[in-house]
Amino acid sequence: MSKTATSLLEVRDLAVHFRVRKGLAASRAVKAVDGVSFDLMAGHTLGIAGESGSGKSTVARTLVRIVRPTGGTIAFDGAEVANLRGQPLKRYRRRMQMIYQDPYDSLDPRMSVLEVIGEALTVRGLPKNQHTGEVERLLGRVNLPVSVATRFPGQLSGGQRQRVSIARALAVNPEIIICDEAVAALDVSIRAQILNLLKDIQRDTGVGYLFISHDLSTLRFMAHRVAIMYVGRVVEYGTSEEVLTNPLHPYTKALIAAVPSVTSRGRLRLKLRGEPPDPGDPPSGCPFHPRCPEAIDECRRVRPDLVAVPGGQSVACHVVFRSRPSVQAPGWPA
Amino acid sequence: MLRRDAVVVVNRLSVAFPSRTGSGEVVRDLSFSVKAGQRVGLVGESGCGKSMTARAIMQLIPVPGRISGGEVYVGGDQNPASAASAKRWRGTTVAMITQDPLSSLNPLVRIGVQITEMLRYHGRLSRAQARTRAVELLNAVGIPNPKRTMRQFPNVLSGGMRQRVALAIAISCNPSLLIADEPTTALDVTIQAQVLDLLEQMTAEHNSAVLLITHDLGVVANFCEEILVMYAGRIVETGPTEHLLESPQHPYTVALLASVPSMTEEVPERLNSISGSPPVGGLDMRGCAFAPRCQLAQPKCLDIEPQLRELGDSARRVACHAAGEPSWPGRRTAEVVP
Amino acid sequence: MPCGVPFAPERASPRVAGVINLPENEIVPDLVGIEPVVLSQPNFWSRAGKSLLHDPVALCSVLFILLLVVVAVFAPWIAPYNPLREFANGLSEVGAPVAPNSHFLLGTDEAGRDVLSRLIFGARVSLLVGVVATALASTIGVLIGAVAGYVGGVTESVLMRFTDMVLSFPILLFCVALIAVTGPSTRNVVLVIAFAYWTYLARVVRGQVLSLKEREFVTAARTLGVGHFKIIFKHVMPHLMPTIIVYGTLGVATSILIEASLSFLGIGVPLPQASWGGMISEGQQYFQTAPWLLIAPGVALILTVLSINLAGDWLTDVLDATRREIGR
Repeated sequence: MSKTATSLLEVRDLAVHFRVRKGLAASRAVKAVDGVSFDLMAGHTLGIAGESGSGKSTVARTLVRIVRPTGGTIAFDGAEVANLRGQPLKRYRRRMQMIYQDPYDSLDPRMSVLEVIGEALTVRGLPKNQHTGEVERLLGRVNLPVSVATRFPGQLSGGQRQRVSIARALAVNPEIIICDEAVAALDVSIRAQILNLLKDIQRDTGVGYLFISHDLSTLRFMAHRVAIMYVGRVVEYGTSEEVLTNPLHPYTKALIAAVPSVTSRGRLRLKLRGEPPDPGDPPSGCPFHPRCPEAIDECRRVRPDLVAVPGGQSVACHVVFRSRPSVQAPGWPA
Repeated sequence: MLRRDAVVVVNRLSVAFPSRTGSGEVVRDLSFSVKAGQRVGLVGESGCGKSMTARAIMQLIPVPGRISGGEVYVGGDQNPASAASAKRWRGTTVAMITQDPLSSLNPLVRIGVQITEMLRYHGRLSRAQARTRAVELLNAVGIPNPKRTMRQFPNVLSGGMRQRVALAIAISCNPSLLIADEPTTALDVTIQAQVLDLLEQMTAEHNSAVLLITHDLGVVANFCEEILVMYAGRIVETGPTEHLLESPQHPYTVALLASVPSMTEEVPERLNSISGSPPVGGLDMRGCAFAPRCQLAQPKCLDIEPQLRELGDSARRVACHAAGEPSWPGRRTAEVVP
Repeated sequence: MPCGVPFAPERASPRVAGVINLPENEIVPDLVGIEPVVLSQPNFWSRAGKSLLHDPVALCSVLFILLLVVVAVFAPWIAPYNPLREFANGLSEVGAPVAPNSHFLLGTDEAGRDVLSRLIFGARVSLLVGVVATALASTIGVLIGAVAGYVGGVTESVLMRFTDMVLSFPILLFCVALIAVTGPSTRNVVLVIAFAYWTYLARVVRGQVLSLKEREFVTAARTLGVGHFKIIFKHVMPHLMPTIIVYGTLGVATSILIEASLSFLGIGVPLPQASWGGMISEGQQYFQTAPWLLIAPGVALILTVLSINLAGDWLTDVLDATRREIGR
């Protein structure tokens, strides 16, 4: 896995720390994201999986600059974007868009669909009198009939609202769309429709996706590469085939085993004990060690770096390193 | 219909809300029963009426809704349940846990008090006895340091912990039936596995039956012995889990199963999806509610509503004109029909 | 995977109304086959009208307010006499006010002026002061509250502490001081009331803006790159409108009461101009001999404030329902 020429987005050692007040004078740092690195290639989908407290939503918000990164670099199309302000920030915003989890809150209930998408078109620079035609085209792109344009979000179903959100994101012609649990709140039968739609759009327009989800089966369908996050760090990273079919990290294995599946029912499942730790007070060394069935002494003391396993994915686990002496010294795989 | 060994019998139940458009029925003519110790799954998407069914059993339908038809028989009682009789058996014979335990647990009352209050009200225990029992219960549901948890308020706990507390309260009086309404939907996947395991363990210990209500087919596949599939307020298919998942008969069930992405099979180019959306509850529909989205629909389906009928052995019931008809136009010949 | 999948790609099935036979896995718009249930259009006026017809109390209140507005606007044409004119036959032989009779429908006051005319012109003053003062207070309050809530940080702290300070300032003292400097006038009354009332709105608006800021559609607008001012005007303000309208309505009632109180104390609208508070003040000493001097303005005041409060209640309900049906 090397930095290819077509990496549209390169994130290195991203850190997002929040200060939380404790009492009158004291405060502590909550390291929501603590050293995350990944690549996204143009026209591809990177899936980010994790449970609550993993920091995946924070990563999404940091990439669209709703949240300020505390450290690390975000390189978009070669240029550093972590500290942009003003006009350059506005230009960057148009190239990276987001679709949100809650279809009921991500659209302003007082604006009609035409106005919602029109707002994005205004940002793009399209004069008002040309909005109607473009809105119609976009609605067609997401398979909604034109009659939806005059309706208000309250009159649409969850699936329809998500389609409107997708149309709004497409309106500014972004190069990457971040889907933050975009289908989690939808009914099962609608989920399949939206996922198919997203894949269609990617095939037709070449847009890249950063697909954030806790549902591994969705990621397996959508993503080319997958990063598994736990308490603010990436613990495993590789192609979805590598990570989901041949997981190396004990957390990944537990996550896959915990997904209740229709086809493999009754299978002996790996039960993980305990709860995900508080990101403000993570365990020492590898944060997974209290729950890890394979933890060794070193796991408690030293935090493992993300290292590439030859011929496979990258993983951050001492147990894996121990079992494969050929694994090189830590550092981002070159 | 009135079985002695059934902990709850639902007979032609209908629940309606006042509506300007149509009858407003969100549950229509529902009939099923749950035997002692049995684990039954009620599966459906939003708007199908599954939650309202649970509330109807508990006699807790929110105003202005009401039971507009049929009855519910609880615990072998010959008389249909009512709001008045419910006071006797709610909590003791039938208990319920919901999706968001923060709404079923009072955020302003300490956890210990909430459990002991339940125990003292129903079990007539002294305060000391109730406290001991409460600690036992918290231990049984896997709460670390139960004595400290007794003194805490619900908002301090994580979602998984809160569900465990809710479960502890629910089983504290040894109910014959535990209704779990989307108990793990809001939880992380690893915590979901823990809570489901706990549910299984607890109900086995107390021999409680479970009515698990969820939209997640994977969960019912692994937890339930029998599955009821609901659509638009009616049951469209029932059967033992293995059998139903191996050869679903109702087109909705088939399509639903086909649309879930798999972890083991080859990744398809696209997912099988069902066109359209689930209907909003309460609308009047002639004929089969699923017909507009159904691949097998014929003109008959839009006129005549199919009734739930037995298919082959009595354990399987389907509400579909096409079920059991190998010569139904549009069917692929390679289909398996019992 | 379960077998018996009834997707049949090749054969053409009879076209059933509303059912589309698709090639396998094709995407179909949600709306095919089942139209989404069209919730009632969020048309405020039709809903408002319907709810009024069902609520007789609210209906009466609204009608009364409309009547008041008409009376206030057309006062010069409705009032029988000039309110300032002191009639010779307005006083009895001993110089006492005259009881209601055919000439003076509500009697006269201690200076021989027609009570009815004064009542009508007093309505003008009350409504004028009420509306203008509330408008002024609302503008200031919303501005300060919205800026504090949206910007946050030090700005918010400073603005809110300032609001608290003004809130604890005694308005009567302020009024007296103002009059000492510039003399009594209606304009002063408006300023004093606005000064007192804007703080309530500022607090409420700040609270609402704080929560509105976190709504996902605001985040979505920011992600799009929409500027802050546009976000405040297009996304935040419209959601504040129900609150502003309700507080505004109640503010008018409060303003009228404050004006009446100030005039009663003699530091409001200066005599001989007609105002309800002033009339009550003057009528105090005659309450045994000429009770109509107290009753007329008193009843008018009570009915006006009551109507506005009841109408405000009704407006809250209607706007709440609208909000619920539009979105969440």
